[in-house]
Amino acid sequence: MKKIFINIIIVISFIFIYLLQANFFTWFKIAGVMPNLFIILMLYIGLFMGRTSAITYGIILGMLVDIFIGRRLGISSIMLAVIGLIANLFDKNFSKDNRITVMAMVGICTIIYEAGAYLLSSLILDINLEIFAFIKILTVEALYNVILTIIIYPIMQLTGYDVEEEYKGSKILTKYF
Amino acid sequence: MYNRKGNGILGIIITIIILIVLVIVTNMETSKLYNAQNIISKVVLPVQNGITYLKNKISKNNAFFADLDSLRQENQTLKDENSKLEQQLRELEVIKAENETLKQYQALAEKYQNYKTMPAYVINRDISNYSKTIVINVGKDDGIKENMTVIADEGLVGYILSVTSNTAKVQTIIDSASATSCITSSTRDLMVCKGTIDGTSTLKASYISIDSNIIEGDSVETSGMGGLYPKGMHIGRVTKVTEGKNKIDTTLEIQSAVNFDKLETVLIITN
Repeated sequence: MKKIFINIIIVISFIFIYLLQANFFTWFKIAGVMPNLFIILMLYIGLFMGRTSAITYGIILGMLVDIFIGRRLGISSIMLAVIGLIANLFDKNFSKDNRITVMAMVGICTIIYEAGAYLLSSLILDINLEIFAFIKILTVEALYNVILTIIIYPIMQLTGYDVEEEYKGSKILTKYF
Repeated sequence: MYNRKGNGILGIIITIIILIVLVIVTNMETSKLYNAQNIISKVVLPVQNGITYLKNKISKNNAFFADLDSLRQENQTLKDENSKLEQQLRELEVIKAENETLKQYQALAEKYQNYKTMPAYVINRDISNYSKTIVINVGKDDGIKENMTVIADEGLVGYILSVTSNTAKVQTIIDSASATSCITSSTRDLMVCKGTIDGTSTLKASYISIDSNIIEGDSVETSGMGGLYPKGMHIGRVTKVTEGKNKIDTTLEIQSAVNFDKLETVLIITN
């Protein structure tokens, strides 16, 4: 029952983030660049809900992003699933209790996601690679995401451990002892 | 866990304030900072002038520098005049060609009237920093099909990428995955215009003919080649001509006629 509730909240969060990205962040930009909150959502899923959920949600949510606005089906899907997997790796190797660590995770995930999505797009859609322009935008976007993590972190901490307990249960203990 | 509640809330408030300030400052036009610049220059300039005057007095180079300054100014004025004259000469040559094409424009204006168009609203913009597609509020039920041309009052917007029953996704000409066959209105030089990820209304043109005679300010329109867009759709104006080591490497920067940031209504050519 609790798992169904968690999944409903994740879907609602996705819709809320989508609306934020499509409306609020189209004008609330830093130097003309908007953040990507989907990456933070995927990081949250990967950190607290485990690998299977991360891949499943990555593929489904990515597919929805591509259907809504993307140019080709699958690019966001693949990259969000990759972010879910990386988040799961972070969970196994680093502590989630430190705000700075989570901020660093968000920064790294943003760089990996956007670089991967840009490379895949350039291969599939025959786009000229504009490396300097890309690095400029990516730097601002990563910083924007990191700043937003400061605001989102308390919500992640408040809800994350309940979600983790529900999804991982006894597995959590084996990690620490 | 999150123990220092007081500090945490204060941190979040400070972060939100910093974010708002960052967004305002980075989106502010530099012209609006005129007053601030004015105050700073008023404070700094007298000091700067004083230091320069003292330095010149000490090194007894005052007269020499005064002469050098006036020579530099004169040189600059002559250079400016020369480039203006050169530009005028080229423009005169272009006017000849323009005269020829004006007749074609006349025909085009009549041709535009024959297009059957359908108005639509932009209901969604891209959520990524690296692509520039838009979603409009008409779809298959309204007779919209893939590859139909989308225009605005000012010029070409793009083409229909995909359709659902009530919406359609538009690939704009400024999207980095878009490539449009273009031609300059005056000199009739062919080129390929591609979108860029940098900037919201800029295109980059390449594959330009070696003997082309394009200057800044030239109007660019669709060539009709490729079969996607009709001929003569206005795209924008050339804002920068960059010549590479070889003439073949010449690229142009084109400012699109349509302001994609403020694009709200579009027309779809349905026939």
